[in-house]
Amino acid sequence: MWAILTGIEGNLAAYEAVIADLRRQPVEDLYILGDVLGLQGPVGPLLERLTHPQAGELTPQICSGFWEEQYLQMLGWMGGEPRREWVEPLMAAVPEGAVAWVRSLPFGFFELDCLLVHGSSQGVGDELTPATPPWELLDYLVRMDAHYLFTGRWGKPFHVELAESEITAEVITLDQPPLSQQARLSERHVIGVGTVGRIPGEAHYGLFNPGTGKMVFKSVAYGNP
Amino acid sequence: MKIAVLSCIHGNFEALNAVLRDLDHQGAEEIYCLGDLVGYGPHPNAVVEMIRSLDIPTCQGCWDEDIVEGLNACECSYPSLLAEARGKLAHEWTNARIHEEVRDYLAQLPLTLKRDDLCFAHGSPQNQHEYLMPEMNAFAALERVLAVDARILFCGHTHVPYVRTLEAGTMTVRLHHTPDQREQAFTTPLRRIVNVGSVGEPRHGRPNATYVIYDTDGDQITLREVEYDYEKTCAAIIDQGLPPIFAWRLAQGLEFAERADDPSHVCER
Repeated sequence: MWAILTGIEGNLAAYEAVIADLRRQPVEDLYILGDVLGLQGPVGPLLERLTHPQAGELTPQICSGFWEEQYLQMLGWMGGEPRREWVEPLMAAVPEGAVAWVRSLPFGFFELDCLLVHGSSQGVGDELTPATPPWELLDYLVRMDAHYLFTGRWGKPFHVELAESEITAEVITLDQPPLSQQARLSERHVIGVGTVGRIPGEAHYGLFNPGTGKMVFKSVAYGNP
Repeated sequence: MKIAVLSCIHGNFEALNAVLRDLDHQGAEEIYCLGDLVGYGPHPNAVVEMIRSLDIPTCQGCWDEDIVEGLNACECSYPSLLAEARGKLAHEWTNARIHEEVRDYLAQLPLTLKRDDLCFAHGSPQNQHEYLMPEMNAFAALERVLAVDARILFCGHTHVPYVRTLEAGTMTVRLHHTPDQREQAFTTPLRRIVNVGSVGEPRHGRPNATYVIYDTDGDQITLREVEYDYEKTCAAIIDQGLPPIFAWRLAQGLEFAERADDPSHVCER
């Protein structure tokens, strides 16, 4: 079983609530899809907690998210314009010396047939939702040859199943006879895992069984940070 | 009405003139160009001046972008060090000779053009560097057309012309764990991707220029192949000091050394 979460955004209390809940689950891997940084609390204690898990706790695998990209843009490590109004509060929330850790984060993970990213396969800022056109969702999956895409940018839990996808095509060239093509795709899934720290008092994360494809959405109440 | 769509002229003035004569002969009333006016060939300024003088709506190609922005493509652009060295030589040669007003013109070209339900782009609507190959996953191909709300997407970049008709697309979407849990069946109407080939640097196995005529009245697409004096361009390539392999491959209508290893890869520089 995998635990998949994102959007802690500096909210250590919310993360502690999720970790406490995970102790009751048969979890073998813990993925954090970015947004460790954010404006929901001081990031220093959270980073200490993530990089030094307690005995018996899983070491989280963490990739980059929207806030990490903003932070690197602010410091000039990445191209792009950070949002001006966030510069001061984010610089205040993130401890000096965190930049090396942030820079070391991968864009995402590809494990078995699952792509785990903060936004989409194209960028951490992409907000995939149940309203995203299904052809666009399928494109992200097909490009990466994944059956499952886990995302978190939207901040709400959701599960879109794309099934019975079929299409026929014909190609005409200058020299060859017309070529018929038929494509049929097996079931694909785009899953939003919600957010741990963005909603005060309510942390969301997901449990996924890569053997069965079963997804369970978890909600954990905790005291206001 | 007949619309001519051309792409990838690559500084080949002879080929451009031959195509302009042919499309005139075919009765084309409108012309669209999908970019890559410069690069590889010996007459970049003359080609741009001709396109401008005819006021042809034109998209920006990847070569046009490189001449404006500077050659900063990531390592994915070239399959070998040899190919990279040749590409850089061609870029430096073009960059040194391009007129400033030509560079300004290339800089302001749009990435896509729309005419009703027709969309025009160099590589794909999302990226000038993306190759829409005829064997590309049909769902991914369909997405490129639907994303720009088009019925027909005209593209170039691969230098090999084709018409790909995508039809009878179906999909069932089931929403779980949302307030409105539901199942919805989607079908897509017929969509087409038309690769218009290359005027000035063809790679379909012959040196002839290729382009496309779309007849709006019968919704008919015709792949055109035009013979011209390619040896004149080959001689100019060598005379101007461009890498001789560009003349060789123009004469063959083939590309060996610089065939992309992974054409589906999109440079995200």
